[in-house]
Amino acid sequence: MSPQMVGIVGFAVMVALIFLRIPVAIALGLVGTIGYAVLNGWTQSLLVLSRVPLTFASAYDLSVVPLFVLMGVIAAHSGMAKELFQSINVMFSGRRGTLATATVGACAALGAISGSSVAMVATMSHVAVPEMRRAGYDERLALGAVVAGGTLGILIPPSVMLIFYGLTAVQSIPKLFAAGFVPGLLLAALQIGVVKVATWLAPHWAPVSPRAPWRERLKAAAGMWKLLFIFLLSIGGIYAGWFSPTEAAAVGTFATIVVAALSGQMSLMQLVASIVESSRTTAMLFFILLGAIMFSYFIVQTQIATNLATWVVSLHLPPTAVMIVVVFFYIVLGSFLESLTMVLITVPVFAPLAQGLGYDLIWFGVLLVVLIEVGLIHPPMGMNLFVLQSQLPDARLGRMYVGSAMFLAANAVLIALLLAFPDLALWLPRILY
Amino acid sequence: MNGNATVRALLSLSARLAGYGSALFLAAMMLITVADVTLRALFNLPITGAYDLVQLFLVGNVFLSIPDVFLRNENIVIDFVDHIFGRGAVAVLKALANLAALAFLAVLSWRMVPPALDAMRFGEVSPDLAIPMAVHWALMIAGIVLALPPAAFLLVESVRIFVPNREAR
Repeated sequence: MSPQMVGIVGFAVMVALIFLRIPVAIALGLVGTIGYAVLNGWTQSLLVLSRVPLTFASAYDLSVVPLFVLMGVIAAHSGMAKELFQSINVMFSGRRGTLATATVGACAALGAISGSSVAMVATMSHVAVPEMRRAGYDERLALGAVVAGGTLGILIPPSVMLIFYGLTAVQSIPKLFAAGFVPGLLLAALQIGVVKVATWLAPHWAPVSPRAPWRERLKAAAGMWKLLFIFLLSIGGIYAGWFSPTEAAAVGTFATIVVAALSGQMSLMQLVASIVESSRTTAMLFFILLGAIMFSYFIVQTQIATNLATWVVSLHLPPTAVMIVVVFFYIVLGSFLESLTMVLITVPVFAPLAQGLGYDLIWFGVLLVVLIEVGLIHPPMGMNLFVLQSQLPDARLGRMYVGSAMFLAANAVLIALLLAFPDLALWLPRILY
Repeated sequence: MNGNATVRALLSLSARLAGYGSALFLAAMMLITVADVTLRALFNLPITGAYDLVQLFLVGNVFLSIPDVFLRNENIVIDFVDHIFGRGAVAVLKALANLAALAFLAVLSWRMVPPALDAMRFGEVSPDLAIPMAVHWALMIAGIVLALPPAAFLLVESVRIFVPNREAR
């Protein structure tokens, strides 16, 4: 059997194992080890496996992950999300669907200090949905806004998903963060657009909120200083040249703790619980990374990625046509696979392909994250739908499906814009670097 | 307290203790980095070996939380088939998944020992502070080895449902 065929069989077996409930990390690790052994023998394969954990002891850049995870967990546990939601609600008061707009706005703002979609949905489900229910919002709009808004966290920097993409595709994390910024804000604006269109077509879905006086609105805007301070210090510090990403994550996390403690929003016990929870999340993510590293060693040996890229380039198809096929592939894959798994198993194959077609890998990273967002919200398997249902067991799944499907329009427009105008993602990194 | 509950309580205790150790490493990682940045910015006095320490703390943070992840069954699993297969088939798949996890952890911990011994034998150290790499290996092996009992426990739990209950008969 040729190495390429071994690779294809290995890939298929790995996907089959994942669908048969084998934990993702274990499926990747087992197939990687066995596949490597088929190509190079057991001695070599076990030697490589034994060295994989050492990757974590020599990769300083990886330390950015637990620190940004901790920053997000503290922001979620310290009541900052509720404050943000209330501030934005007052700022946009006097319009129809303000609470849904505030949900998306709060998610975008919280995304500036949290890089996790799941944490965002879990938090916002308790902050925003009860308020919208009390105000008489249609469940479809209320649930859809939370499910879709939650995805903004993984596009607006800092983003754990962009970090993992950067580590896998060997791309600069600061450049990726900069590239995610404009598309992230654009997606938030498009999601607000969905709210506006939905409430225009069905005004009974959302009442008009009472208008707050301008003084109150300005006060509410000023109340967002904590978030702005943490974002400017941490992410701004990277582009000001003060910090590396790891240092920015550490300083941002420390600032979040200090701000939460000084505001009386976090006790010592809550802080300890947040650190323990973040450590567990990190271990779970890195255990998958451990399996993925072994799997990628195997895939590199098979030369599937380079052969696929060479083959596709030799077809002389328009790059946009190939990229549209890749987009559909990811949308289908996103129906079944969890987001980090999708990044770790597909990037080693598709990044060389995108590069071979002349696409910038920073742009591809942003496109990939937008596609992952689609996978997170599209019915029936979107992870955010499950998270929301676990947080709100009384929410009806059918309504959640309709709500999230409405917001997919925003992602579709953003994907089309990114394909047509790659500078949407590349403009800011070009200016900053 | 029956035997099963006692085992779970013991496993929970060891996983929790390791988890607190892991959390300490994360807190230390944050504090050492903040101190390094602050001292460098204010007094042009960076902490020598901060990189080495962060790398060591990262290893401790990642690996010492793995036992708790296993005990809480928090590994990411795609449960798509739950909607397709019956309860019995899903139970079999769960048992197989736990067996695969235990086998992978066992092979990994077994294979990590030789390079760890090599690191000790050859006196491998970190670049700045000359921290013996054996310390890194010890943390990594501890995390994986401590994850073995929770993985075995989950396997036993998932297989137990196939064994007819004598008392019920």
